[in-house]
Amino acid sequence: MRSRQIREVALREIVTRGRSNGYRVVTGLMLVLAVVAPIVMAYLPDPTDDLRDVTVGVEAGAPPAFVEQLELLSEGVVDLMVFDLSDEDAAGIEARLRDGRIDVALRPPRRLIWDDTEDSTVANLITAALQQAEAIDRADELGLDVGDLARVFAPIELDDEFVDESSNTEGVRSGVALFGLFIAFLLPQVFGQFTMMSVVEEKSTRIVEVLLSQIRPVTLLAGKILGLSALAIVQLTVIVVGLIASLMTTKIAEVPASVWQFVPLMALSILGGLAIYMTLFALLGSLISRQEDQAQVMLPVFAPLMIGYFVGQTAVFGNAETVLAKVLTWFPLTAPMLLPVRVARSAIGPIEVAVSLGLLALGSYLLFRLAGRLYEFTLLRTGSRVGWGEMFRLSLGRVDD
Amino acid sequence: MTAALEVRDLRKAYGDVQALDGVDLVVEPGRLVGFLGSNGAGKTTTMRSIIGLTSVDSGSVHWHNRPITFEDRRLIGYMPQERGLYARMKVHEHIAYFGRLAGLDADIADSRAHEWAERVNLGDRKDDMIQELSTGNQQRVQLAVALVHEPELLILDEPFAGLDPVAVSMLSSVMSEQVERGTSVVFSSHQLDLVQDLTEDVTIIAKGRTLASGKVSELRRQAPYRILTVRWAGDAPDWVPYRADPLAAPEGESRFRVDADIDPSGLVGAAGRAGNLAAVSFEPPGLEEIFIELVSQ
Repeated sequence: MRSRQIREVALREIVTRGRSNGYRVVTGLMLVLAVVAPIVMAYLPDPTDDLRDVTVGVEAGAPPAFVEQLELLSEGVVDLMVFDLSDEDAAGIEARLRDGRIDVALRPPRRLIWDDTEDSTVANLITAALQQAEAIDRADELGLDVGDLARVFAPIELDDEFVDESSNTEGVRSGVALFGLFIAFLLPQVFGQFTMMSVVEEKSTRIVEVLLSQIRPVTLLAGKILGLSALAIVQLTVIVVGLIASLMTTKIAEVPASVWQFVPLMALSILGGLAIYMTLFALLGSLISRQEDQAQVMLPVFAPLMIGYFVGQTAVFGNAETVLAKVLTWFPLTAPMLLPVRVARSAIGPIEVAVSLGLLALGSYLLFRLAGRLYEFTLLRTGSRVGWGEMFRLSLGRVDD
Repeated sequence: MTAALEVRDLRKAYGDVQALDGVDLVVEPGRLVGFLGSNGAGKTTTMRSIIGLTSVDSGSVHWHNRPITFEDRRLIGYMPQERGLYARMKVHEHIAYFGRLAGLDADIADSRAHEWAERVNLGDRKDDMIQELSTGNQQRVQLAVALVHEPELLILDEPFAGLDPVAVSMLSSVMSEQVERGTSVVFSSHQLDLVQDLTEDVTIIAKGRTLASGKVSELRRQAPYRILTVRWAGDAPDWVPYRADPLAAPEGESRFRVDADIDPSGLVGAAGRAGNLAAVSFEPPGLEEIFIELVSQ
């Protein structure tokens, strides 16, 4: 019977909260963010496109294919401009070098003239271009087919393989860690507040009296948390699917297989966080009787959330193995934020993961038991809010309802 | 006959305030019991104790001769004094939801929800959201919620408060129907004339203590005084019978409170000598007078 009642309460929460504007708007906004962010990133100018400008002056007598070869070789290395110096005398060339209108001048057959310092990248490019242009000239003189020669000397591409892939996938891992941290920080707040609103609504309308004539407080609490958790999972799934679809479409980043391995672990810790925070929000909601009093009791919940988030951010962009990060990974109220980050950054071992998840599960269970116990006494209280001192006494079993 | 519900010597203090100080309440199966008391007398606290919403310091609540359990309580339909509904649920969804919570199968709960929506005259509004209904119509939904699982005992805390005459009539007939089908009903109300019309059994409490309990006719018969009402043919004379207390009366009438053991024929004779009589009645006090007499002691 109790499981049936839990299901009924959960379904009611899913239906009523699921069709509320608040849920739809938040889900829609996050989906848009997940889909649009990779698209925007794909169309943002790539910082690697911002190549330095190089102007190469070429005096008369250079091999005919030199400029073409230089342009080919410079692609993706420098932003090349070639300036014809055929009509320029030595003084004019020197003046151009001094005032920076050209970076280097090629005086065929073998001389490069610089202003004061050599640019080895440009020098290598010119050397290679000159070599290829002269090779083409010589092949032509020998009656060889230039196309054949190009095939003979066609460049090869090597595939990279890394024994330790972590440093190579660091960027993707950091991105996933940041995403996990953001979700672990945001989801408990959104759904915790939905839970609190639901509890306060039942208290303020006094419908809780009718409910508790048919259902135990702990059953009501369990149904509420399960129903809203289901909505959270749906929302999270929609966001992740949207993000993956967008990533695949834009091809902005390729997610290595090793990254997918820790996604279930991240999901588990995020769901654990959701459960513990929703229980906490429900408990705090039972202390008040009016929606406008929510701010009075929410502060203690935001403190661990904020601490977890900021330490998590430090771990994403800096050292993920600090003592503080390690300690907060074991604390059930901050673990949901630190665990995904440290897992994504490969900064945590399997034993520590197991301990952290175990403590999170234990903390959630104990908090649920305590909330169920307090819920019985606070849910029917109306008027002024139940104070912290009284809540503490109630949690010790000192009842005076 | 074994009582369906037997409340004995309930006591409950909130700090220095003794909310319940020995409440007794017995409800026989298939009976309608009016639970009467002034504001703050302890009616709601007693009802909440029966439902299990408030713990008591001492005393007992028995269900069919044994201590009541949570499962027994699920056989009770409860309509609290302060009405509460989910504003953003449809009428029939709301009723069906509480039916399912009480253990009904989904299809049965659904059909009952439609039946009860019709019965409380909300058939044409069963797809409306609760928040779109007037306060009176929301009370009708609340009644349907209390009845959807066909409870063995119905507890209604001030069910008539705020209802228009049509709704009062509907609620009265629903309560009578429930009693006919064997449901025990306890309800509190300040409308004592309505209580007297509806029920034979009452329990009167004051300051958290039961003062009287039993059939209305018996309580009236046991009253140590009677009400003498004289309607005069013309203006009322300035006449007061021996050992009688005058009571307020409309123009052309005189009302007196006299001892129960006084000879009524002597009074009628004396009244006839004082003026022209149109009609005389000599009756036990009504429920309202008994109530006022008891609670003001």
